[in-house]
Amino acid sequence: MTKTVVVIGAGLAGIQVTQQLTDLGVTVHLIEKESIIGGLATHLGRVFPTGDCALCLDACEELFDGHHRRCQYRSLLTSKKNLKLYTQTEIKSITEADGKISVSIKSHPRYVLLDRCVVCLECINVCDVEIPDEYAIRGGTRKAIYRPISQGVPLAPLIDMDHCTQCGKCVEVCGVDAIDLEDKAKTRTIKADALILATGVEEKIPLNLAGYAYSESDDIITQRELARLIDPAGDTNGQVITSSGDDAAKVTMVLCAGSRDLEATEYCSQACCTYSLKHANMLRDKEIDVTICYMDLRVQKASNHYLDLARKKGVKFLRGKPDKVIVRDGKPTAIVEDTQTQQRMEIESDLVVLASPLSPLASQSEVLADFLGEYGFASRVIKEGRVYACGTATGPEDIPTSIAEANAIALRVYADLEGGR
Amino acid sequence: MSKVKTYTYFPGCMIPFRLPHFELAARAVLKKFDIELEANPGHACCPEPTTFTGVDFEAWVTLAARNVAVSETTGLETLSLCSGCFHTLAVANHMVQEDENLKSRINERLKTVGLKVTGNLIVKNILHVLHGDVGLERIKKEITHPLKGLKFAPHYGCHLVRPLEATHMDDAEQPKWMDDIIEVTGAEVADFEDKMSCCGAPIMPSDADKAFTLTADRIEKIRASGADAIIVVCPTCYTQLETQQKKATAKFDPEYSIPVLYLGELLAISMGMKDMVISNARRYHRVKIGPLLEKIGGAA
Amino acid sequence: MAIRRSTSDLTFRNWVLEQPEGETLLRCYQCGRCTSACPVAAIDNSFNPRLFLQKILLADESLAEEQLVWTCLTCEQCEVRCPEHVKIPHLLILAKVRGLVGGNIPQAALDRARGILTGGRIIMVNESMLKTRNKMGLPDLGQPPVDQIASVLKEIGLAKKLEKLESVYGGEGNE
Ligand SMILES: Cc1cc2nc3c(=O)[nH]c(=O)nc-3n(C[C@H](O)[C@H](O)[C@H](O)COP(=O)(O)OP(=O)(O)OC[C@H]3O[C@@H](n4cnc5c(N)ncnc54)[C@H](O)[C@@H]3O)c2cc1C
Ligand code: SF4
Ligand code: SF4
Ligand code: SF4
Ligand code: SF4
Ligand code: SF4
Repeated sequence: MTKTVVVIGAGLAGIQVTQQLTDLGVTVHLIEKESIIGGLATHLGRVFPTGDCALCLDACEELFDGHHRRCQYRSLLTSKKNLKLYTQTEIKSITEADGKISVSIKSHPRYVLLDRCVVCLECINVCDVEIPDEYAIRGGTRKAIYRPISQGVPLAPLIDMDHCTQCGKCVEVCGVDAIDLEDKAKTRTIKADALILATGVEEKIPLNLAGYAYSESDDIITQRELARLIDPAGDTNGQVITSSGDDAAKVTMVLCAGSRDLEATEYCSQACCTYSLKHANMLRDKEIDVTICYMDLRVQKASNHYLDLARKKGVKFLRGKPDKVIVRDGKPTAIVEDTQTQQRMEIESDLVVLASPLSPLASQSEVLADFLGEYGFASRVIKEGRVYACGTATGPEDIPTSIAEANAIALRVYADLEGGR
Repeated sequence: MSKVKTYTYFPGCMIPFRLPHFELAARAVLKKFDIELEANPGHACCPEPTTFTGVDFEAWVTLAARNVAVSETTGLETLSLCSGCFHTLAVANHMVQEDENLKSRINERLKTVGLKVTGNLIVKNILHVLHGDVGLERIKKEITHPLKGLKFAPHYGCHLVRPLEATHMDDAEQPKWMDDIIEVTGAEVADFEDKMSCCGAPIMPSDADKAFTLTADRIEKIRASGADAIIVVCPTCYTQLETQQKKATAKFDPEYSIPVLYLGELLAISMGMKDMVISNARRYHRVKIGPLLEKIGGAA
Repeated sequence: MAIRRSTSDLTFRNWVLEQPEGETLLRCYQCGRCTSACPVAAIDNSFNPRLFLQKILLADESLAEEQLVWTCLTCEQCEVRCPEHVKIPHLLILAKVRGLVGGNIPQAALDRARGILTGGRIIMVNESMLKTRNKMGLPDLGQPPVDQIASVLKEIGLAKKLEKLESVYGGEGNE
């Protein structure tokens, strides 16, 4: 009999494990709380170690070739027969009985019917509501009917009912009757043989981080926010500008801004050194002056060329953890000891970029609490033959590692369900 | 009203003999909340935490633990009005709690005088008692002369607040309890840079000039907030910011001065005991508080 | 302020590690956040808590003789910001204690210690102070139990240590 697996989280790891299992003939229910898949990758633009678009890391149907590129945008993800994707869906409960695992879910309405919409985007044009865009950094806006990012899958728009005025203009303009303002939430229960957590991480918003004044200035941003500024598809069209709209000429990065800190996040977030280097190199290409303040650089071997490149491009390295970033005359200024020269420095910049910790999303869900270990991360095999985890749900890591782990877990689950290894 | 609560009072050296108006004001204010302070003749110098520690740390923690042990015999919670004493007792108490070796070493020594320390003592400072035990609601009821239109800068001082694991205060960088109490008196809390920075006093013995540089910086930042006075808890901060103020402000503006009030005095004024504060003003306040009291005059 | 060659037997470092909370030294990343947080370092470039800890780590006993350690405020601003909660001012205190052997101590510190040993207080209480208390209606606090102080400190030998130091300094001064 065909086995059924529920995967929670459609980030790169969740997508990968799903693709692998469906290719093996397993039926997979892939559950995502957001309206599009991709998780963190939807924010990132280009990614190390190859510099490809983050959304190109969907592996499609070929087996075990985790690192090849095939655009998510054009993938079979939404058309596979044995794959059911649920977006805007939350997990209500997880129970175990009679050798099965029951997952109750609630899917919130999209108000746009996926089987009808032809993605002409006329509806977005006619909507009069304009509100801040969650993916924008410098004041970009979106409509009440919108697509979070243009390559987001599913491609059809959705309506944000918190801001929709129910004016009906979009309904009127839609030539295929794809919009239903009366769309309702749906609940259902899936009986599965196994469950995989691919719930991933988010970059912490450092509002309460002592010293770094994140909440005091829009020129003190996180690496994710910088990624949005650099992304040509972002609201600044890839222009790295300050809150006052000027081109940034000088950027200071603070690594471990909250990670490896007993008061904040104790562990090392693993990927931030390398993506900070990636961003530093991209800024150098725009001839922006970059200083990286670090305690030590933890770069995976496969990405070491980013470090070499950064040195070549003239990124400045300062070994020292700033005590604070203060806003002086409107400019963020980092106070730091250069531990190599023993000088106390005050570095004024246009932007200060914090490498804020990656923290587990699963720990935000009560239903998943029982599956989690230290710091809210899960182990790969939570319960033999039943509950597994992969990707950054098991700990912060980069994309290649997440994908490799997803491949390993797909095989492991398949073997465990089919009763042999 | 309710029945009287008694704390063991740890006097230390500075307050009872150099700045007795602190004790007078504190006792008067606490009395309104049915709180009595009971001294114990067994107590000696805490010992002070800024220089004696560096003479012999082991001796410091042993003498501090002896004071803790004396307090333990009273069966009451201990209140220290001085931040230095509070810090010493709280830290020693905490260290004894955490370090079994240290505890048994100390208890070996205490045996010679028939004392024993467990580390279970509850050591409090004035903010614990006012903000926690008495509560803002109750304080509010006693405010008969609200200090509307005035703005005060709370100077917490380092040893009152840090280290958190021993002091059990609310926050090591942005403490709020004194702010809350100032607000209850009807006054406004001044917002100034580097809320928790040090008054400079601890290094007066080793490098007075550096100390004054820090004191000056402190006062200059408070000046920028437009505060009418600085409110302190600690007698050492008080001495530094008050009696040494002239030498410090000479570094940036010899004309400038700002009154320094003990938190107990502030409460006393707002609770209708202005006369008591005035009677000690000339003797214990080098920066005149007369003009400030006049400003309050209308209300109090 | 260069780092000197470490003493080959690591005595200084090992002694620090044996003291209460001394082992927090080993958590130090040498990241320098303490130095950039420190108000004294901000006005004196030669005062560098990170470097002080490095010296202890390398068993460089010259730190203990450094007058500078006595200009630590014990304000704990460094400790509050230290990502590893290293007990920095406490470690500097240990360095001070160690340095006494070489006679590195401000006179006032010595006087206060003497005051505690002989009178149980860091200040001399005089008649007028007692009178003032009396006038204010404040209770009599009695005499601190000096004999108890002597007794619990016997094993530590503080009295002897002070005598030796005072002979170096030529006796008591006034605070
Ligand atoms: C600024 C930045 C730059 C980066 N750059 C790079 C790079 O260049 N190269 C690289 O290799 N790595 C990079 N990374 C790391 C990379 O983003 C991650 O390794 C990778 O995206 C992790 O994928 P994931 O699937 O494990 O998790 P995620 O992408 O976080 O996906 C988890 C998904 O699960 C969903 N989910 C969570 N909880 C629930 C729930 N309860 N119910 C339903 N759904 C849920 C989330 O909505 C999300 O879609 C970067 C990270 C950041 C922050
Ligand atoms: S909902 Fe209708 S109008 Fe909007 S994109 Fe889809 S087909 Fe076009
Ligand atoms: S009905 Fe809502 S989403 Fe549609 S156009 Fe009107 S406001 Fe926009
Ligand atoms: S990966 Fe680098 S920046 Fe991120 S926490 Fe680890 S050491 Fe710090
Ligand atoms: S802040 Fe802490 S970890 Fe960093 S150098 Fe100072 S003591 Fe060491
Ligand atoms: S405790 Fe000493 S070393 Fe630490 S910040 Fe204060 S003065 Fe500097």
